[in-house]
Amino acid sequence: MAAAVRALPSQLKALTRLRCEIFQTAYNPRNLRTGAKYLRARLRGPSMAEYYPKTVNLSQIAREYPELGIVDEQEAQRMADVEDRKRRGKGTPKKAKKKADSRRAAKKR
Amino acid sequence: MSAMKNTRVLRDIKARQGVLKNEVTRRAYLYVARNTTLPPQVRHQAQLQLNTFDKYTRPTTVKNRCSETGRGRGIMSEFALCRFQFRLKALSGELNGVRKATW
Repeated sequence: MAAAVRALPSQLKALTRLRCEIFQTAYNPRNLRTGAKYLRARLRGPSMAEYYPKTVNLSQIAREYPELGIVDEQEAQRMADVEDRKRRGKGTPKKAKKKADSRRAAKKR
Repeated sequence: MSAMKNTRVLRDIKARQGVLKNEVTRRAYLYVARNTTLPPQVRHQAQLQLNTFDKYTRPTTVKNRCSETGRGRGIMSEFALCRFQFRLKALSGELNGVRKATW
């Protein structure tokens, strides 16, 4: 019967190195932070992006396939109304370039 | 039934898209910034780059919300529903494998 042989620290080190080589893992005897975990972790984006069920809406289809000639009637009506309002001088006011141009400043004067 | 999309849900969708788009670059910078074997200057530069990313590219800004009502609390992530919508759907038999317990 063979007696149990105590392995030297250097031998254990060599064994670890060899093991790393065989199983293709990083040899890091001093346990330094190499940031490898950020590369090893799976990407979470794809599963995150498909959390909400996909919805289909008309305007989206119309935008993607303009050649189909789909018209979103509600949206068309809304745009027509906006144009109409603009013609009557009731469109949205211009954004103030300076503080002094704002309606608030005009009221104070 | 069409799902409700309130501002919070839209914001969450935006965050999810941002995460998806920027994940690989963010990971690369994270790797450099957290790698203690690299020179401190390089790591610091990487950290500065990480700080320039938009708020909606961080995975922690993503919050699971109810896909029916947009509610942010009491969500069962597995079904993407809040507890009440989960109950309604389960009782109407829309969720496979879910049934009311009786004993």
